[in-house]
Amino acid sequence: MDEETGTIIREGVPSVLNAFDEFALNLAVELKNEVEEDVEIVALSMGPPQAKEALNKCLAIGADRAVLLTDMVFAGADTWATSVTLSRAIKNIGKTDIVFMGQEASDGNTAQVGPEVAAHMGIPQLTFVTEVESVNNSHVVAKKETDEGFVRIKCETPVMIACMPTPGFEPRIPNIREIMKAKKKEYQEWSHEDLGGDPSEYGLDGSESVVIKTYSPPPKGEGIIVDDEPEVAVKKLMDFFEDEGIL
Amino acid sequence: MARTKLSDDRDLTEEQRLFKESLLEWAERNMPLDRVIKMNREGHPYPRELIKGLADLGVIMGTVPEERGGMGLTWKDQALIAEIIGYIDPSIATAAGFMAVETGWGFTIDRHANDEIRKKYVQPAIRGDKFIGIATTEPGGGSDVANFKCTGEKDGDEWVLNGEKTFISGVEEAKQIGGGYWVNVRTGEKVPGAAHKNMTAFFVPIDSEGLTPTEPYDDAGRNSISTGGFIMEDVRVPEEYMLGEKDKGFYYTMEGFDNARILIGASAVGVTRRILEEAADYIKEREVFGSPLAKYEGIQFEFVERYTEMEASRLMVNKVADMQDTRYDEEGWAERSGKAKTYSPTEIAKWISMIKYKVPHLAKDTADDAMHWLGAAGYSSEYIFETAWRGVMSYCVGAEGGANIQKIVIGRETLGKDYVPYK
Amino acid sequence: MIEIHEDKCIGCEKCLKTCPVDALKMKEGVAKVDEGLCISCSACIPACPVDAIEPILKASKAASADYSGVWVFAEQHDDRCRPTGPELLGKGRELADELGEELCAVLLGSDVGKLSDELIAYGAEKVYVVDDKILENYTTEAYTTALVTLISKYKPSVFIFGATHLGRDLAPSVAGRMGLGLTADCTGLSITEVEDVKVLLQTRPAFGGNVMADIVCPNTRPQMATVRPHVMQPLEPDPERDGEVIQEHVKISPESIKTEILEIMEHEDSGEISVEEADVVVTGGRGAGGEEGFKMLRELAKALGGTVGCSRPIVEEGMMSKSHQVGQSGKTISPELYIVCGVSGAVQHRVGVRGSKYIIAINKDPKAPIFDMADFGIVGDASKMIPMLIEKVKEKTC
Repeated sequence: MDEETGTIIREGVPSVLNAFDEFALNLAVELKNEVEEDVEIVALSMGPPQAKEALNKCLAIGADRAVLLTDMVFAGADTWATSVTLSRAIKNIGKTDIVFMGQEASDGNTAQVGPEVAAHMGIPQLTFVTEVESVNNSHVVAKKETDEGFVRIKCETPVMIACMPTPGFEPRIPNIREIMKAKKKEYQEWSHEDLGGDPSEYGLDGSESVVIKTYSPPPKGEGIIVDDEPEVAVKKLMDFFEDEGIL
Repeated sequence: MARTKLSDDRDLTEEQRLFKESLLEWAERNMPLDRVIKMNREGHPYPRELIKGLADLGVIMGTVPEERGGMGLTWKDQALIAEIIGYIDPSIATAAGFMAVETGWGFTIDRHANDEIRKKYVQPAIRGDKFIGIATTEPGGGSDVANFKCTGEKDGDEWVLNGEKTFISGVEEAKQIGGGYWVNVRTGEKVPGAAHKNMTAFFVPIDSEGLTPTEPYDDAGRNSISTGGFIMEDVRVPEEYMLGEKDKGFYYTMEGFDNARILIGASAVGVTRRILEEAADYIKEREVFGSPLAKYEGIQFEFVERYTEMEASRLMVNKVADMQDTRYDEEGWAERSGKAKTYSPTEIAKWISMIKYKVPHLAKDTADDAMHWLGAAGYSSEYIFETAWRGVMSYCVGAEGGANIQKIVIGRETLGKDYVPYK
Repeated sequence: MIEIHEDKCIGCEKCLKTCPVDALKMKEGVAKVDEGLCISCSACIPACPVDAIEPILKASKAASADYSGVWVFAEQHDDRCRPTGPELLGKGRELADELGEELCAVLLGSDVGKLSDELIAYGAEKVYVVDDKILENYTTEAYTTALVTLISKYKPSVFIFGATHLGRDLAPSVAGRMGLGLTADCTGLSITEVEDVKVLLQTRPAFGGNVMADIVCPNTRPQMATVRPHVMQPLEPDPERDGEVIQEHVKISPESIKTEILEIMEHEDSGEISVEEADVVVTGGRGAGGEEGFKMLRELAKALGGTVGCSRPIVEEGMMSKSHQVGQSGKTISPELYIVCGVSGAVQHRVGVRGSKYIIAINKDPKAPIFDMADFGIVGDASKMIPMLIEKVKEKTC
């Protein structure tokens, strides 16, 4: 049920909850606890049916509702097709104030889906966010990492926030009570038919970048390993430096 | 090298898988093995913040119905939780205090207590703010439960209790954070030939006037939780603090033992599994005479035998948990999914006795074997094995019912009543 | 493309000011878009007070023959070119030669024109400069509008960015709006042929570096990629090189910007070379011997003319700041010489340093995975090895 401030939405990944997404969800739950108005957190994921488990965990951590976009049509999507799929689902879900995402996924590591979803939704983006200081009906204030350090930035909502965990971040552990409560929360599965549009817009067909080959990285050549007393070992290392012309 | 894993989670429900994940994550942050070893070395009382941590996780008294502060978990769920607690703390101290005593007996207290006791003691214990326990054993009798000497006499609308209880878990902890005990007393003339008949159960707050804790024992193991006792000298409790009905105490006590023993059996499965996993990591790495220990049949075969027994024990515990769920289902106590079979209380008692004597012994024997595989290293407290051995021994020799008593119960149910050695 | 919901439009005309290509006009009291002119930059969307404008983003199906030029996004900060521009120009030169196309750099900022010379020295044949106060500090919206406008005007076939925080914020924003395929964090770029057309082959690691993938964007132009920093090599800068500077003016209005920077907190410039820029990096992990151990590592780094790095647990313990963290969640580096002590070498660390020329590892555990990638490894206690090594190095270099 949509409430006064509307919904906060989070995107997850299949099967195992990826650390960045888990951080994003933790941020959303923390915010929900701080804000006075009623807030709904919807956990959204695109993946195979097994992804239900990860969404279950999201419900236990504190999401109020979960939606899994699952359909063979969605398979093989690159970041473009994924962001098309997600943004349409978010539109279906309803009025959104913040779209939380993990900065990157532990398999693809592209970190692109967030900004691309923001583009499709026509909303601003904040990436590499480590902290959300406050949120109200019109703005968020967040701290984000830059190449030089950090900035504190204010942005109008609705906004897409891609989150990056700080070192030493420990995610909330859902307790047994919360796990049991999660059983009663709403969980839905949607296919491409629920989103509309043409099947060719999704999945492999809808992708703009194509993987033509995957392979193992070339192995590094055998190195020299020594197991000696410090005097001997260090001498051997200095010899190596000399041979290679280092120093 | 990846750590050895010896569990199959396929049979778990989604929720049970999440319980397991949460518990293991919590343990990694708060109670890794070296802390367990340290806690046992430093001794009781059990750290307050860990009691609270366990309670916040929701592991204590989960089977108490939701409307009274529990979570209405099935015994299957609770047995899984107990197994993980055993896995996390192979000294079995945590399972002793918080599975057997607070969950097994605590659940039973909740069943027979009035609303005041539930509000003031049971529900805070679920939250980790108080400790509630069981006091049945006396200097004169542990296994011989019916031969108890503590007395209770009515005086107006109060009962006056006298006597001494010994080998009671958690008294120091209860004294520290508050709480109380289920105490059995004789409330009438001892009936010849039926000594169990006039046992009445009372809930006694730990700070009652006239209740003096006695010096805790210096136990061989499970040292992070206290084993002590108390003396009652004209301790007064209101009539409403009687648990259940007068003279029915013995039957509630049998019920309480059953509930605690299931969770001991389950946690001992976890202890055994942890011992095997830790030992496996060691024997795969450690080399003697040019090969890792694990390659020698003498060691590998012993390992495999214990592993097989561990899985068999787990199946037994699962069966007992299912039986337990039907028992409480029959009495309409909490919602359970429908089970086809129902079992008689004596049948359940037989199975509970089987796991109660078998699994702690298995854990002890596995720890024993592991120490042999490791040699001097296994004898030291750098590893968990000697701590585990010392801990689980308590459940072999007597805690919650000595093994030999369990065997008599099984004998009665298999060979028949005519062959019971003594009443 | 955008869609204007006419029933919502209140005729305030705020959106008109934001459009860099003047595609919006008022007609019968409501705003209308000229579909032939709209470049999908989305600058108008934030300006509308009643949310009447919606993006309709479609994948761009481009005729590749219409597009030409290898473009490089050159980052600047504090009046200096950041290393990404020169690195990308180095690779860009190869790509441009293979394609027979022009190599250009794109420079955005305020009062940055002077940096164009440096970019030309590093190989740019042309530098497109958009110099505007509104571009002084990076905002996604302003930079995106600028780039989308330039791309629509000049139609490059390739556009590459550094996979810095800025690049990873900007590139997908541009690609998203223009419906382009974008490949992230590439470690390799080359030209290959797909159906007789020369295309950009993008190579990147996936699954934590355990798998390499070759990717192409067959239908969209420009082909976009972000490139892992410090993997590509810049050309030798040649101040005599010739190049053209083209000043571009892009209409970017404040109404299209929804973010406001409240505070900038930059890492203290301790005068130390950063781990990314140093030629020699000496890294310590949990097994490096704590405070004492790191003191030794600092001395060694100094003796070698390099800087100290650390693994993630060291940052978590508060011993060093994140700017020194080396590894997947820290910095990716590729120094000439990388000496690593007391780090077991989990995949996340290895991924961050595999570009190093020489890797020397010291660890007590002979089975530590770090030895798999070391050119020279010593099994032993770093606290004993390092002091000796410092001595020997000082002997040699003094």
